[in-house]
Amino acid sequence: MIRTSKLLGAASIVTLAALGATPAFADGTGAGTTIQNTVTVSYSVGGVAQNDQQATDQFVVDRKINLTVAEVGGTQTVVSPGATQQVTTFRVTNLSNDTADFALSVAQQAGGPGAFGGTDNFNTTGETIYIDTDNDGDWADETPVSYIDELAPDQSRTVFVVSNVPLNQVSGDVASVVLTATAHAGGTAGSQGALLTTSANNTANTVDTVLADGAGRTDAQYDGRFSAADDYIVSAAALTVLKTSSVVQDPVSGTNNPKAIPGAIVQYCISVTNAAGSATAAGVNVVDDVPAGLTYTATNFPVRTNSTSCDVAGATDTGSFSGTRVSGTLANIAGGETRTLIFQAVID
Amino acid sequence: MNSRYILGLALAITGFGFAPVAAAQDRIQLDSEVEVERTKSEGGQTKVDYLPPVGVVPGDRLRFTTGYDNRGSTAAENFVVTNPLPEAVALAKNEDAFVVSVDQGQTFGTLAELQIKETTGEYRAAELTDVTHIRWTLERVAPGETGTLTYFGIVR
Repeated sequence: MIRTSKLLGAASIVTLAALGATPAFADGTGAGTTIQNTVTVSYSVGGVAQNDQQATDQFVVDRKINLTVAEVGGTQTVVSPGATQQVTTFRVTNLSNDTADFALSVAQQAGGPGAFGGTDNFNTTGETIYIDTDNDGDWADETPVSYIDELAPDQSRTVFVVSNVPLNQVSGDVASVVLTATAHAGGTAGSQGALLTTSANNTANTVDTVLADGAGRTDAQYDGRFSAADDYIVSAAALTVLKTSSVVQDPVSGTNNPKAIPGAIVQYCISVTNAAGSATAAGVNVVDDVPAGLTYTATNFPVRTNSTSCDVAGATDTGSFSGTRVSGTLANIAGGETRTLIFQAVID
Repeated sequence: MNSRYILGLALAITGFGFAPVAAAQDRIQLDSEVEVERTKSEGGQTKVDYLPPVGVVPGDRLRFTTGYDNRGSTAAENFVVTNPLPEAVALAKNEDAFVVSVDQGQTFGTLAELQIKETTGEYRAAELTDVTHIRWTLERVAPGETGTLTYFGIVR
């Protein structure tokens, strides 16, 4: 291999070098970029350097549309029956080499497996789409939108889908919602551009469009769309109630191994347990009629509530007695927790 | 002779005409062409075609071809063809036929012997994506001789 560099050739290389700087392309060469290839030939004839010769050829890079929609958080949104404005979160990323608008639509999956297990068996209602324009992770300060405006190459936006849960759902019910983003032409801020399709006729030296997106949850490859699913899972409160009694004192034996004889004091414990994994139960009201043959005694033991067991020492509040009925309101019971109402009565 | 010299100089200065710029009276005729590589399957076999550069998007593979034709009556010697890579194109394949530069054409060598100085001051072996220029050198192009020089690139 001969590596000869004539002076004339070297001079032309220097002028070309300024154009050869190689910037970093984070997202691929931009649509509309002209790729121009220029060759320079230096040569000699009979030992005399001749003028350089050049030849060029050029074309423009076309618009490659690619995007993804991804669920954010990697888990279901846990909701209660009747809950309103429940949020699922997605992220839409523009992988194109051009700025584009992305139309957003949300659909309810009709049956089939959920995105995070379970089977879709109900639909949420009133779906509304928000973009996290201020990146604070909160949808409440945003206004509903139908598209992402002017998303630059390699940029992404967080999108919230907010919807309501019907009241009659039960624990374990799953609703999958699918967010689809569809590429539209960018270029005009404040309005959604025309739907992008792969150009029918590719024309040299004009910017054509090539849809190069993958297949998402419900969309196909190369259709200019991408979709992803997120799930709502219902966790209702699942309360169980258990009533137990024990004799705490009788007139003969006192508290030492007391028997249920007339005059003995019986302590009742009504225990309310919320199943593990359930939604927190609030405003649980316990009502119990004192059994016939017993007389409620409040002399030194009023109705006690909110112990986490039948040990009265843990009780923090008092209930009430009226007529033949004891009652008390329990504090919030989270999943897996127990709260009790305890009272005493004397055997007639 | 004089007028040709002026024309040649003008081309060297303006540099980048859009049409092939080899003027008719130049003794060396050059022709530069770019094509895009398209693969399709036909009957279970993959067929590669080189087509006009339409619908080109990042990641596409390109074939750049320079044809030369010595129309003069004397041989051209030390025939050096220098091709700066377009900034949006990375070299796709190294070949023995040419030497490369990774420093904007200041020095040339085989890709294996070139190194890149990192910002940390350490050196690493040059890679295909570092190449900024490629150069073919032909000792002699005889009168009437024609040929082509080819390289493959990928749109960044």
